[in-house]
Amino acid sequence: MKRFLFLSLSLALALTVATATAGHAKTLKVGSLSPLTGPYAADGNDIANGVRAAIAVVEQEGGIPGYDAIELFAQDSACDPRQAVAAANKLVNEKVAFVVGAYCSSATIPASETLDEESIPMLTPASTSEKVTERGLAHMYRLCGRDDDQSVVAVKFMVEHLKAGTVYIIDDKTTYSQGLADNVETRAAATGIKVLGHDHVNQGDKDFSAVLTKVKQADPAVFYMSLQNSSSGALMAIQARRMGINAPIIGQDAVYHPQLMEIAKEAAEGMYLTFGFIDEERPLYKLFREQYATMGFAAPGAYSGYAFDAAYAALKAIKESDSTDPDKMKAALMAMDYDGATKRIKFLENGDSGSNYIIRKVQGGEFINYWNPETNTLY
Amino acid sequence: MEFFIQQVINGLTLGGLYALIALGYTMVYGIIQLINFAHGEFFAAGGYMGVILLTFLAAHGYMETHPWFCLFGALLLTMGYCAMLAMAVEKVAYKPLRYASRLSVLLSALGMSIFLQNGLMLTQGVYDKAYPTDFTSGGLDFGLITFSYMQILIVAVTIILLVGLNALVFRTRIGTAMRATAQDKVMSSLVGINSNRIIATTFAIGAALAAAAGIMIGLYYGSVRYDMGFVPGIKAFAAAVLGGIGNITGAMIGGLIIGMVEIFAAGYLSSEYKDVWAFIILIAVLYFRPTGIMGENVNDTRV
Repeated sequence: MKRFLFLSLSLALALTVATATAGHAKTLKVGSLSPLTGPYAADGNDIANGVRAAIAVVEQEGGIPGYDAIELFAQDSACDPRQAVAAANKLVNEKVAFVVGAYCSSATIPASETLDEESIPMLTPASTSEKVTERGLAHMYRLCGRDDDQSVVAVKFMVEHLKAGTVYIIDDKTTYSQGLADNVETRAAATGIKVLGHDHVNQGDKDFSAVLTKVKQADPAVFYMSLQNSSSGALMAIQARRMGINAPIIGQDAVYHPQLMEIAKEAAEGMYLTFGFIDEERPLYKLFREQYATMGFAAPGAYSGYAFDAAYAALKAIKESDSTDPDKMKAALMAMDYDGATKRIKFLENGDSGSNYIIRKVQGGEFINYWNPETNTLY
Repeated sequence: MEFFIQQVINGLTLGGLYALIALGYTMVYGIIQLINFAHGEFFAAGGYMGVILLTFLAAHGYMETHPWFCLFGALLLTMGYCAMLAMAVEKVAYKPLRYASRLSVLLSALGMSIFLQNGLMLTQGVYDKAYPTDFTSGGLDFGLITFSYMQILIVAVTIILLVGLNALVFRTRIGTAMRATAQDKVMSSLVGINSNRIIATTFAIGAALAAAAGIMIGLYYGSVRYDMGFVPGIKAFAAAVLGGIGNITGAMIGGLIIGMVEIFAAGYLSSEYKDVWAFIILIAVLYFRPTGIMGENVNDTRV
């Protein structure tokens, strides 16, 4: 038995060595980390698809000198800290040049520490928690905005545009959603908006009738929902409208997904969401949309664009520095200043790329740019 | 006061749905002393079958011309489909183990649950599926109290199904045969009852009720997801135990109580911990009154 085991093990080893040296084609390995299964699978697949689109665009632009192909290792983080770390370890073993991901801040943070030990650059397209870039990791970058900026815009909108006097807040208790809701609560109270209540629900809840009855009773001028998931947001919107809650609903970037309108339909009409400003006229954005459609993916979700930008910027850095060395990539990334698909790509000292939150609105079954917080005007 | 009445309406709706699912657990337990852990998946399968049928009907415009016809047609078809699914599951996963130890059957049920849930995920995808909402909006509005049409529909259909089930079990020949098989499989087969067929029928009826709950929950909440069977399944199980597992009236009462408690805990205490209450009740019942509210003493020496 022992001999058999030894034999099969050495055979397996020989095979791996053989496959590793077989063929002289050089492939650039890159990784992505996002929840491909479970309740956040929609956003997770959007992220992986965004990276795929970026790779396709770079290959069409002539690829990376010195490499024949770019191969993506799309890992499932399941929005779970343990699985995210396991997936990050797999990517370390594959020796990927960089990783785009993850989605939930609570998974991104532990995974980033694993990647940091091996100095593999990580670019998150979706994790908005402040802590992501505040730990001083050398190779952590962020393409989306930050929660502290997001709550500022939400409250500013309540005060300056809706002129609301009262608000009711509901969150679903994740690092991200509750942190954001707490920020909104403090800021709203500070600006003189009365917080009539702040309730918590659980992730994956479907029946909100009891808590919405409370909201209806309180009759707020604005209803703020901070949920981790667009389908929960859709369910809450449907039930709120059906119950006769007619106050404007403000959501945030995690609720921002085409799925919101697919499920909630007319109940989603008129909802406001804080989300990064997207200029659909940018050339790279158009290129991204075209590529995304050509590859047969459904309409891009909230983070497809940021994932595209993350992968595109990292590949650009490899091309410009002519190396996958993380320090050289860092130098190239820090020197970048160009119009990406979703925003101007210019990284700050801590790896952030700046927030550009605005209010978007659901109108006619689509998200439209609605209110500009800097000028207090409509688009 | 309005707040209270509104919560009672919410609780009735949810409790009715739990009662429908709980019946499947209790009937199967009553007849073969098995906790059918795959039962929640029949509920999810019903939700999916409903969305497929209704989307098809809506796409062909029948929903606008004959909304009620579509709704009840889809309901009946879905119930029939899940009944057949349950009979197939029974044949594959439980019947070969009829004389095996109870633990083996239980493990088979758990395996079946995982198999069905993943089957749903692979065939239907990980994304939520949205129900057409043509007739699900609106309701009777009394100012602070709203009784939405969907809530009325759920309560009405639940009552009809519960009354129908009671009549079936206590007034018909097949019901008598079911009760006889539950009391003693060997004796009932000696008097000419085909116990295998009766067991399959019981599975079918339980699954049909769960399927009705699945399609109504899909309509009520607007969407379904492959893992939707798990949590309501566990809560309905708690309801069945609370009512006295094996007892049909008990399951109805248990379902209503669990639904009410959940809604009132969320409304008056905290919505954060609403799920805890079903399980606190489950533990309390198992500790203080293991036979449940309506339960009789089950003779455990019976094989």
